[in-house]
Amino acid sequence: MVLEATMICIDNSEWMRNGDYAPNRFQAQADAVNIICGAKTQSNPENTVGVLTMAGKGVRVLVTPTSDLGKILACMHGLEIGGEMNLAAGIQVAQLALKHRQNKKQQQRIIVFAGSPIKHDKKMLEMIGRKLKKNSVALDIVDFGEEDDGKPEKLEALLSAVNNNDTSHIVHVPAGPNALSDVLINTPIFTRDGEGGSGFAAAAAAAAAGGVSGFDFGVDPNLDPELALALRVSMEEERARQEAAAKKAAEEAAKEKGGEQQPASQDTTMTEGPSASASEAENKKDDLMDDENALLQRALAMSMDDTTSSHDVRDTDMSEAAADDPDLQLALQLSVQDSAKEGNDVSKLLADQSFVSSILATLPGVDPNDPSVKDLLASMQNQSEKKDEDKGPDGDEKK
Amino acid sequence: MACMHDHSCEDHDCSSNWSLYKHIDLSKVSALNEAVPGSVKSVFKAWEQRLNSSEGHLESNDGDPELLVFIPFTSDVKIKSISVVGGADGTSPSKLRVFINREGIDFSDAQSMQAVQEWDLVENLNGALEYQTRYSKFQSVGNITLHFPDNFGGDTTQIHYIGFKGEATQLKRDVVATIVYELMPNPSDHKTKAESGGGLSHIE
Repeated sequence: MVLEATMICIDNSEWMRNGDYAPNRFQAQADAVNIICGAKTQSNPENTVGVLTMAGKGVRVLVTPTSDLGKILACMHGLEIGGEMNLAAGIQVAQLALKHRQNKKQQQRIIVFAGSPIKHDKKMLEMIGRKLKKNSVALDIVDFGEEDDGKPEKLEALLSAVNNNDTSHIVHVPAGPNALSDVLINTPIFTRDGEGGSGFAAAAAAAAAGGVSGFDFGVDPNLDPELALALRVSMEEERARQEAAAKKAAEEAAKEKGGEQQPASQDTTMTEGPSASASEAENKKDDLMDDENALLQRALAMSMDDTTSSHDVRDTDMSEAAADDPDLQLALQLSVQDSAKEGNDVSKLLADQSFVSSILATLPGVDPNDPSVKDLLASMQNQSEKKDEDKGPDGDEKK
Repeated sequence: MACMHDHSCEDHDCSSNWSLYKHIDLSKVSALNEAVPGSVKSVFKAWEQRLNSSEGHLESNDGDPELLVFIPFTSDVKIKSISVVGGADGTSPSKLRVFINREGIDFSDAQSMQAVQEWDLVENLNGALEYQTRYSKFQSVGNITLHFPDNFGGDTTQIHYIGFKGEATQLKRDVVATIVYELMPNPSDHKTKAESGGGLSHIE
């Protein structure tokens, strides 16, 4: 359990947009950083880790060495990609940050992610390496991303200048199907001294393998049953909520369109009613019930009313709704023209089983074969029959 | 064993004067820019052994003659003088700067800070030379840092022996020696005697 202060130098240059590491180089790098931070803090609780970015406007220290993992992970959010990486400056700033660490007993280590081409020459890198060695700072280099001519040689030269008794390492990660973090887990960057870090590395490797073999949510139920259960329950709740929200949206749309025919909308709410009550979301059910009750009462009142008044209500409703549907508009105009002669045409239209069922079919969430819909249609038929009897044997009786 | 001092040694044993090496906390001694990590511990030995380098010596990295040695003591000491035995062929250090009671000094600190005292050294291959300190400044030394910025022209700097002459007080600077931090309390670590079955009390 080596007591260590680590500074991680992140490459956030333009070269990190490339997608040859899934999903893109920068994201792969960020995942690797997260795993490294976790491993370091787990292997010794007094270890500290800090992060800095090398590209962008300039070298910027995001967080000074701290043992608070949350702070480190939070600072990885909202990082912008851009600019060019300045490796020399990044390493020097990292060295300075380590020099001012709070616990002087910690060993100093820098981990560099070198993804873009290196513009410094070999000599300068060697000088930097010697200075690090002189101040007994260890250096780990992750060579990924751009494969420049001479980049591996430069980095190897840097490593040999820094390396003191095998405390420094270099890893070359070519682009491929394996995630950057998975490749790193098996390297000495993690498994140094074969203790502590290897425990975390083993767990991380198991989690990675578990993700591949299809554990739900990437959490092994054997390792952490409570977490797996919590994740599963929240996923189901989210799904149910989304379904209910989708139904409500459909119902809203149906209400708008179905205002032309109060019974039709009543049908939709009736069909919504059973399905809404079937859903698990209690709140949504209450809302639907309220809407449904109001509409139901309105529909009942209308059907109880005098035919003339109901007729007028229906007319106004139809004219409001007609704005939505041009086909219906045409039909309404026809019916309005005729209504002077025969006020029953509207009811005739409504009584027309095929017409009503075709209208109902266009409404989302309504199944014309639904028995409740059929019942209503039947009751409508009876009403229209009654009216027909009143007015005369004009009504079409179709069943 | 001739002291090679100007006086006759029958009256006292020179080596007892150089006995402060016994008060050095060897496990916490560290050096910067040493070629072999841990080799610094071999330079602290009895005065009689000062020329005996069979167990290794302290050498700096190739091409870089600077050396920084951090020496903590187990109790506060008063240092009267310091002796340094270097290597041959220009590998002896030419200058010595010391800092008292400062931890975590590195090369940039050492170069910029004002030393408590500085000496120009000469090539001292048989260890007969000692460098006197301004005793008033070295009255209660918990740790001392030696900075050797340069040598006599060799590629590396070699040091075979470092000796301190003075007195040890029984006082200690740091009171806390070992601290155990508990990040999470674990009751099984804190079993009381009653819980662990009770111990029989001894009556003698």
